[in-house]
Amino acid sequence: MRVLFRRTLPLACALLAAAVPAAAVHAQDIVLGASVQLTGPDANTGRYYKDAYQLAIDKINASGGVKFGGASHKLVLKLYDNQSDINLSVRQYTQLVTQDKVNLLLGPFASAFVIADSAIAEKYKVPMVQGGGASDQIYARKFKYIFGTLPAASNYYGSTIELLKQVQPKPQTVALLHADDAFDMSVAKGTRDLLQKAGLKLVMDERYHINSTDFSSLLSQVKSANPDVVLVAGLETDILNFVRQSKSLNVSPKMYSMTVGVPSADFRKALGKDSEYAFGMTAWLPSAENKDKWFGDGEQFAQAWKTKFGYDPDYHAGSGVADVEALTLAMEAAGSAEPQKVRDALAKVKFDSEYGMVAFHENGQIFDIPQIVIQIQNDKVVPIFSGKGLLAKPVYPVPAWNAR
Amino acid sequence: MKLAYWIGIPAALAVMAGVPWYGSPVLVQFGINALLIAVLAQGWNIIGGFAGYASFGNSVFYGLGSYGVGIAMVQWNLSFGTGMVLGVALAVAFAVLIGLPVLRLRGHYFAIATLALTQVMAAIVSNIDLAGQNVGLVLPPMNDDTMFYELSLGLVVLATLTVFWLTRSRFGFGLIAIRENEVGAGVMGVNTTLYKVSAFALSGIFSALAGGIHAYWITFLDPNSAFDIGVNVKMIIMTVFGGAGTVLGPVVGALVLSAVSELLSSEVTSVASLFFGFVIVAAVVFMPHGMAQILRDWRKAGWRCFVDNIKAYRL
Amino acid sequence: MDLFAQILVNGVLLGGLYAIMALGLALVWGVLNIVNLAHGAFIMLGAYLSWSLYTFLGIDPFVGLPITAVVMFALGYALQRGLLNLLVRAPMFNTLLITFGLEVVLTYLAQMVFSADFRAINPSYAGASVALGPITIPVARLAAFGAALVLTVGLWLFLLHTRLGRAIRATAQNLVAARLYGVEPMRLYAVTFGLGMALAGMAGTLYGTVSQINPYIGSALTAKSFAIAIIGGLDNPLGVIVGGVLLGVIESLTTLYIGPTFADVASFGILVLVLIIRPGGLIGRTRTA
Repeated sequence: MRVLFRRTLPLACALLAAAVPAAAVHAQDIVLGASVQLTGPDANTGRYYKDAYQLAIDKINASGGVKFGGASHKLVLKLYDNQSDINLSVRQYTQLVTQDKVNLLLGPFASAFVIADSAIAEKYKVPMVQGGGASDQIYARKFKYIFGTLPAASNYYGSTIELLKQVQPKPQTVALLHADDAFDMSVAKGTRDLLQKAGLKLVMDERYHINSTDFSSLLSQVKSANPDVVLVAGLETDILNFVRQSKSLNVSPKMYSMTVGVPSADFRKALGKDSEYAFGMTAWLPSAENKDKWFGDGEQFAQAWKTKFGYDPDYHAGSGVADVEALTLAMEAAGSAEPQKVRDALAKVKFDSEYGMVAFHENGQIFDIPQIVIQIQNDKVVPIFSGKGLLAKPVYPVPAWNAR
Repeated sequence: MKLAYWIGIPAALAVMAGVPWYGSPVLVQFGINALLIAVLAQGWNIIGGFAGYASFGNSVFYGLGSYGVGIAMVQWNLSFGTGMVLGVALAVAFAVLIGLPVLRLRGHYFAIATLALTQVMAAIVSNIDLAGQNVGLVLPPMNDDTMFYELSLGLVVLATLTVFWLTRSRFGFGLIAIRENEVGAGVMGVNTTLYKVSAFALSGIFSALAGGIHAYWITFLDPNSAFDIGVNVKMIIMTVFGGAGTVLGPVVGALVLSAVSELLSSEVTSVASLFFGFVIVAAVVFMPHGMAQILRDWRKAGWRCFVDNIKAYRL
Repeated sequence: MDLFAQILVNGVLLGGLYAIMALGLALVWGVLNIVNLAHGAFIMLGAYLSWSLYTFLGIDPFVGLPITAVVMFALGYALQRGLLNLLVRAPMFNTLLITFGLEVVLTYLAQMVFSADFRAINPSYAGASVALGPITIPVARLAAFGAALVLTVGLWLFLLHTRLGRAIRATAQNLVAARLYGVEPMRLYAVTFGLGMALAGMAGTLYGTVSQINPYIGSALTAKSFAIAIIGGLDNPLGVIVGGVLLGVIESLTTLYIGPTFADVASFGILVLVLIIRPGGLIGRTRTA
């Protein structure tokens, strides 16, 4: 009896829906599903994605929603908290697809999660656009239903190394410290190649366990090896510890650059004056040059974000919003919300957004967005180098800790 | 009473076996998860409930089973079955080699030692290239939830039958004797070392099998999730909740607590863990001997059995 | 050679921090036989407390140590009287589970109140260092080491020479006999637990000045504290200094000579070895477990 009911109900609904004229107010809502880290150790960054998805959806709905088939469809977000547990996020994505019957998927934060969750998207053939993972492993399985808006991990240090070729006195030696998670291992692998091509000597190359709290031994080794430049690829929490402890051990290379952490306001808040002169990178800056169909441009987007949420957005935010926009434009191009058609449209999509230009390679990864090298100067994030030319003068060499 | 068991259990099994056909995919997913935990709980029951050695190291077996399948399938392109065999072999080897020295410890020292072992294994595996270091392994996708479900159910049945056999065999009596009075058991002729290590290995085999199935099902594996202490604590809580040393207790405990946890995770998401923590605290205070004991005592004392439980243990 | 000496110094100083983290755990375990899996969460709470005092009231963390201690003491006392007393005569195993549940609850409460943003206690001297020849000594760590010595020796003297301390030890050795002598165990247990939590809270303050704080640091700190407490031995509070310094030095040397990712292998490996060979710890009496 139950089975009969379950099978006939959708049919009845479909008949009913078809009977209603297409221009009616009740055009079908499009549900976007996601499982994001709202609690647990990754929650600090996970919340950027929840806020990004919600803001984008609200903004798109405010200007009429997704338009295809002669009707305007409202976007709805169905979000679960995966408590920073990969296994739970996999089950939640399965639930989103099979029980909640969402139309399309948005991704979680962190490469490890994306690797696991993309298998669900592929299994059920529902496209997922994610802005949280950059590791090469995500795209190595040649899945067709995963798309990502974060640039390739292996090229994260590309712009920084270009910058190194331009500063004086020219640096010769580099130390590379990286965490052992998927993303940072990808970064390290790519960075080694880049360093070799640039003719810089790698005097120290150490892998440390993520969530390490004590860097004193590594830092002492760095001090002893005395490199010109120190590159650190790790989590925000590691990086915070690294900077504090390098001050307390008076480790002062001419430049130290981190893959994450530096662009965010938390970094400057937690470190206070010690955040000064740190180099970092971001794939995104709130620039008025990035024109956006719904937000106007990058600057206005950042304003809208700050007004609504009370904190500054960073590239996680920008990338999350771009994911929603990509899905919306793909639906409009395909003229439907049907997963297969949207997937094919996503493969061909190309548009400008507050995040920059969005278009995907065949493997689903976004066309490379070069990282912009930034430096904290006077408690502000200053864009220094965008891969093409100097945007501002970097403070190099960075003054030693005991000389500040 | 006996009749109820003879009819009830096969009926329940038939109902559970049929879930992939009449249940929703989410129910099947939940089922796989709950059944795997039930296997773990039952496995722990052997070493913890029967032999009285509170092991925090079953996570190691779980992880070894997962990595056995992971390495076999990803690095050496072998079949799932071969991977499971490899995982079990690793688990048994570990149980014997490490179990021998560690099982000489008693009480909380044993617990701490096994807890430390879990950390050591996680740290060691995150340095092994073959295991994918800390990045982990990504297994080939397998879209057959029905197979995983039935496999897990079969494993639960096997584990429960094993525990049932324990209640009737010399080996099982020996374990209970060790739990109640190890020195006395030794004096009475029980080869305590052999029995303890065998129990540890047996417990490990089930944990490894569960780990192997889980790895293939989730298609992703890393040291953090494979050797997660939380898994061990969960299996202990579920066994204790259901009734350690009983035959059906761990299975019932696992299914009930999994359902509670899943319900919380999907309805009240952000406070799910918080509630679960409260549940653990309440369970330990009010029903330290598990549901099985409550069910028994209820008939005699009603609500008072909770109060009695507290009175028995407080200062 | 210079590098080796620096690493050694790093290890010893780290050991001081470790020692103070483990002190509260060792006290509660050795005396009350409570294996507190929530110990790390209490360290985390102490850290947040100090951070709040520093951020909202401008109280320097070291100056605020007594405040943190008192608040955490009260919390520990209440927790023991209200909850853990219910399990005093239960198998030790039950306290393991209940403290695990407590850890989950405390972590999530912290997340709800403080959010997952990471914090740091950053007084102006937090990054200062002193140079001793070629060796650089971070001031904050030196202070933590000093605090560890003071607190450990203080606790040892307290247990040995004060009435309350002797009462605590008596109760640990023989509850019935102690009661016969007029010791009131419920209050005593609560005081001991409170003391343990106060020590954990102070450890949190010191931890917060050298590392970042977030709600999830608890479990890793608990694991570390366990290792130190056992390696040092639970009979004598001075054992944590031995355990802490040994672990700190071994981890630092392992990082230098083998690799940073092997530090955990070394520390927990040693824990297992100590448990197997000498469960009483390095300076405890060799008692079979």
